[in-house]
Amino acid sequence: MSEPKKVIIVPCSGIGKSFGTVSRMAAYQVTEDDRPDKTQLIPLALLVLGDEEARAVLAENPAITIDGCQLACASKMVRESGGKVARELAVLDSYRRHRDLKPQGITELNEVGQKLAVVLAEEVDGMVDELVQEGTENA
Amino acid sequence: MADYLETKVDKFTFKVATDRHYNSLGVWALAVGKHIRIGLSDFLQQSSGDVAFADVNPAGTVLAVGDAATEIETVKVTIAILSPLAGQIVKVNPLMENAPETINQDAYGEGWLCEIEPSAWESDLKNLLDADAYFVQMKRQAEEEVNKNE
Repeated sequence: MSEPKKVIIVPCSGIGKSFGTVSRMAAYQVTEDDRPDKTQLIPLALLVLGDEEARAVLAENPAITIDGCQLACASKMVRESGGKVARELAVLDSYRRHRDLKPQGITELNEVGQKLAVVLAEEVDGMVDELVQEGTENA
Repeated sequence: MADYLETKVDKFTFKVATDRHYNSLGVWALAVGKHIRIGLSDFLQQSSGDVAFADVNPAGTVLAVGDAATEIETVKVTIAILSPLAGQIVKVNPLMENAPETINQDAYGEGWLCEIEPSAWESDLKNLLDADAYFVQMKRQAEEEVNKNE
């Protein structure tokens, strides 16, 4: 039986913007707290550098990208690195669904911004479970 | 299809559609049949940031020049979009409800805000900038923004 695949989480790397911070907080929650055994975080910087190991992991596993703005750097870099974007999320879309959770602050998010990160992480958790299930069925 | 004046300031490229008029804040006005369609200039949408919500006043709202026609919330700011003309809103772009990011994606086309039945278009038009004049003003504003951030 082959090794179960991991779901790769690639968040926005934009510094200086609240929505980028929300993206990273959600990614940390998923990969460190909620689904550590099923996921792996790959920082965008490694893909920009063309890191061979990161590219190899991406080639073998589905990725969920969490973009902080419409430039969608995370999604673009995963595709340019030869990976498959299995699910694509944008913090702005999540905020549109939860207008009362406007993130503010950068190094330290405001309270509602932190809540938005939790909500976003829960969305990602669900996607991880779906992808793992799909992987199991296709194995 | 509109032609554009275009300039690059720092790493940003800004376009000004030549087929319409502008107020000094970067809100454009374009005659479409008997109505006037309004929207944001490329410079205004880029400098405001990714649009999260666009709350356009409903059809039937009567506006004077300078009244808020729409409130836009972006990732950076919440701004009132002030009407460049007087009249009554007769149609709201349905995309503003569920896809306000269209403002960022196509500011001069599908990203329009609303259509207004003008009450004094001939006189309001005299107070607006044509594309050439707005282009000069916009370029100066963009350069000032860049210099401020350097």
